[in-house]
Amino acid sequence: MTRFIAQRLLAALVTVWIATIAVTLLVHVVPGDPVRIMYGSFQTTPEELEAIRVRLGLDQPIWIQYAKYLGRLLQGDLGRSIVGDQPVLDILLVRFPMTLALAMASLVIAVAVGMSLGFLAAYKRGTWVDAGAMILAIVGVSMPHFWLGLLLLFLFALTLQWLPVAGGDWMSLILPALTLGLANAAVLARMTRSAMIDIFDQDFVRTARAKGLSQTLVLYRHALRSGLVPIVAMLGLQFAYLMGGAIVVENVFAWNGVGRFAIEAVFARDYPLIQGFILFFATVVALASVIVDVAYAFLDPRIRYS
Amino acid sequence: MVSIKAGLRGGALAAALAAGGAAQAADLVWARYGDADSLDPHRATSTLSMQVWDQIYDTLLAFDMEGTPGPNMAESWEVSDDGLTYTFKLAEGIKCHDGSDFTAQDVKFTIDRAFGDAPSLTKTSWGPITEVTVEDPLTFTVAMSSKFGAFIPFLADSFSSMICDTNTAGTFGSSTAIGTGPFKLVEWVKGDQVTLEANADFVNRGDPVENPGAPYIDRLIIRTVPEAQTRLAALTTGEVHIAEPPFDDVAAIQEEGELEIMVAENTGQDVFWEFTTSRPPFDDIRARQAVAYATDPQMAIDIIYGGLTNREWCPVARGVFGNDQAFCKRYGYPYDPEKAQALLAEMGYGPDKPLETTMFVWTGGNRHKLAEIFQAQLAQVGIQAGIEIMDIGTMNARVKAQNEDSTSEEPGTFDMMTWSWYDPDILYQLWHSPGAYSGFQNAELDAMLEETRTTIEPEARLEKVQAVIRYLMENAVHIGLYSPGWEWVFAVRPEVSGFKVGPFLHPIFTDVKIEG
Repeated sequence: MTRFIAQRLLAALVTVWIATIAVTLLVHVVPGDPVRIMYGSFQTTPEELEAIRVRLGLDQPIWIQYAKYLGRLLQGDLGRSIVGDQPVLDILLVRFPMTLALAMASLVIAVAVGMSLGFLAAYKRGTWVDAGAMILAIVGVSMPHFWLGLLLLFLFALTLQWLPVAGGDWMSLILPALTLGLANAAVLARMTRSAMIDIFDQDFVRTARAKGLSQTLVLYRHALRSGLVPIVAMLGLQFAYLMGGAIVVENVFAWNGVGRFAIEAVFARDYPLIQGFILFFATVVALASVIVDVAYAFLDPRIRYS
Repeated sequence: MVSIKAGLRGGALAAALAAGGAAQAADLVWARYGDADSLDPHRATSTLSMQVWDQIYDTLLAFDMEGTPGPNMAESWEVSDDGLTYTFKLAEGIKCHDGSDFTAQDVKFTIDRAFGDAPSLTKTSWGPITEVTVEDPLTFTVAMSSKFGAFIPFLADSFSSMICDTNTAGTFGSSTAIGTGPFKLVEWVKGDQVTLEANADFVNRGDPVENPGAPYIDRLIIRTVPEAQTRLAALTTGEVHIAEPPFDDVAAIQEEGELEIMVAENTGQDVFWEFTTSRPPFDDIRARQAVAYATDPQMAIDIIYGGLTNREWCPVARGVFGNDQAFCKRYGYPYDPEKAQALLAEMGYGPDKPLETTMFVWTGGNRHKLAEIFQAQLAQVGIQAGIEIMDIGTMNARVKAQNEDSTSEEPGTFDMMTWSWYDPDILYQLWHSPGAYSGFQNAELDAMLEETRTTIEPEARLEKVQAVIRYLMENAVHIGLYSPGWEWVFAVRPEVSGFKVGPFLHPIFTDVKIEG
């Protein structure tokens, strides 16, 4: 198992390393002179533009730029933003915990609501419970985050005044997490249902039943554990996706997450920020897939040996 | 370093969230759609940044409500006969937030830094300064290589915020900021909130408010709440005291009467037509005039903004030296679709051959709705204008690229440009070659613009400025539409009194009191 984890971590490291190359190339593949694009809205003379080019090291051959970038990276220096001249790492470090908290909280809600609903629908297949759960899921998938967010806001913050509108104390995490969680629960419910229906029809479940195991034991030890494999993969993907930031929800609830940061950086053509975000996101996705792989191996021992 | 602090916050998120948490009785919470870019006044240009600097720093001079600069940290000043040397006398007893005395040395530190190695975004705004000399702790002189008419108003604007010479840490502008303004920086969580506390040592020497000393409130919390409906909800529940409301809800808010709607005046913000003059159709003055005659800004702003903004005839907006509605109207383009049609016919356009072009618009503030009205008005005279909506950075870059591309087969574009400045020197920055957008320029206009800089006596300067205004309007280069244009409407909770927005959109909180 240790070797397996080490292998996966190594693969993740290679992914991040490739991302550093992509990030360096980014500035060069964008059409037009990056310095002019970045500083286009400021009053700058050609000499000043040249000075900026030298300061950013963009006047040097690309491999030297890459070597320097990697060198700085190893010292934890992600450069400084163009807009406002702020250290990129600082900005990321402020927002990362916010995004992590939101992603985890909404995932917990998604799993709790989505999996229970899906499992229940599969178990009660063909009944009104199944139909009801699936209608809820379709509504959840179809409802725009923005709208759901505003509805929850108006209900819980404005009308009932149980929760704060935005920012403030930890209570303000509840509404955005609920918005994101419910939307993701809908997807998860549908996945869980179809995975469990497949499993319920499998021979080993019938065998388990035939040998007289209790219903609970059949469901939890045999059916659920096998059915979890595709769901865990899905959860890993969803988590990685959530770590990219849920811009719409972040905006509605003024949640200071990574998604808003990424959009602002792109709009401002702030390359150091965009590079920082891509690198950060690549690392999160790589790590999330390591965790998924390990969870897979844990759930399905065959994966370890293959 | 802020990174360590931020890491700690992350490590104990719940605690950190609680710490940034519930407002105390004398905390004023002001919500804005975005955050400052930097706390270093030499590293940003956005209004959102300047409004934070206003609280932390002070300026040598200060504007009155009409936008005229007067004494502030500098009690008095003299200009040499040749107009090249300014001698300033500082007020006694000004304290920096770290307890050190604010002296002429700090002024020298600020100005030298603006001209220093790392490119300062305000460098050109300071003018042709060659040297700052400290004569004694309260006296300094500023020497210029040529006369610069915008210097005095510049010293009242927060672009010239005075920073204390103890700001030597690498964290300056990011997690530390030492000034002499009414509030001290407690913490800046980037993208989220700036926490400031009242500076007990503050003495108001020139701001147009009644309070002669420190702010009445204990803390000022400036929060980022991007979504307008969320800001309104937070205002309603009392989480936020002051915020920009959604435009579409202003009428309903006024009707309800709970929140007070405040409209900033003399913002210096100008929304105007400008054109790609390097190629057809707008290389021809008649095409530019046709757009000006065909559009009715009064009607458009009445529909979109109700009574919240004004028709602006001048290329320099209300509050700025040289703004004179009657003067500008004389050379302006009142709504006259027939005249527009006649000009278009002269150029060979008609019902079978419409003038095709594209209008660039800056996203946000309901400007896209305004653009749709203008589009319909233009269509009535036979101008088919497509609309492209983009962020201001992209728009600036694209307008410049359009002007520099004189060989393109595509018809030239025009745009609803937005600028804000405290002095008619904006016209120099926009139209003196090479200009901000490489747009309309020629030697005659350059010479006229240079005179607006080198003439410093107010009356003589007014004449020079108005000559430029007249030239820009007669040539249909810069056609004013309306002012104010962005972030100028505030909704204020009933328990808050004394909130004031000074000219050029500088909010002042020293008079603010919160009841109950």
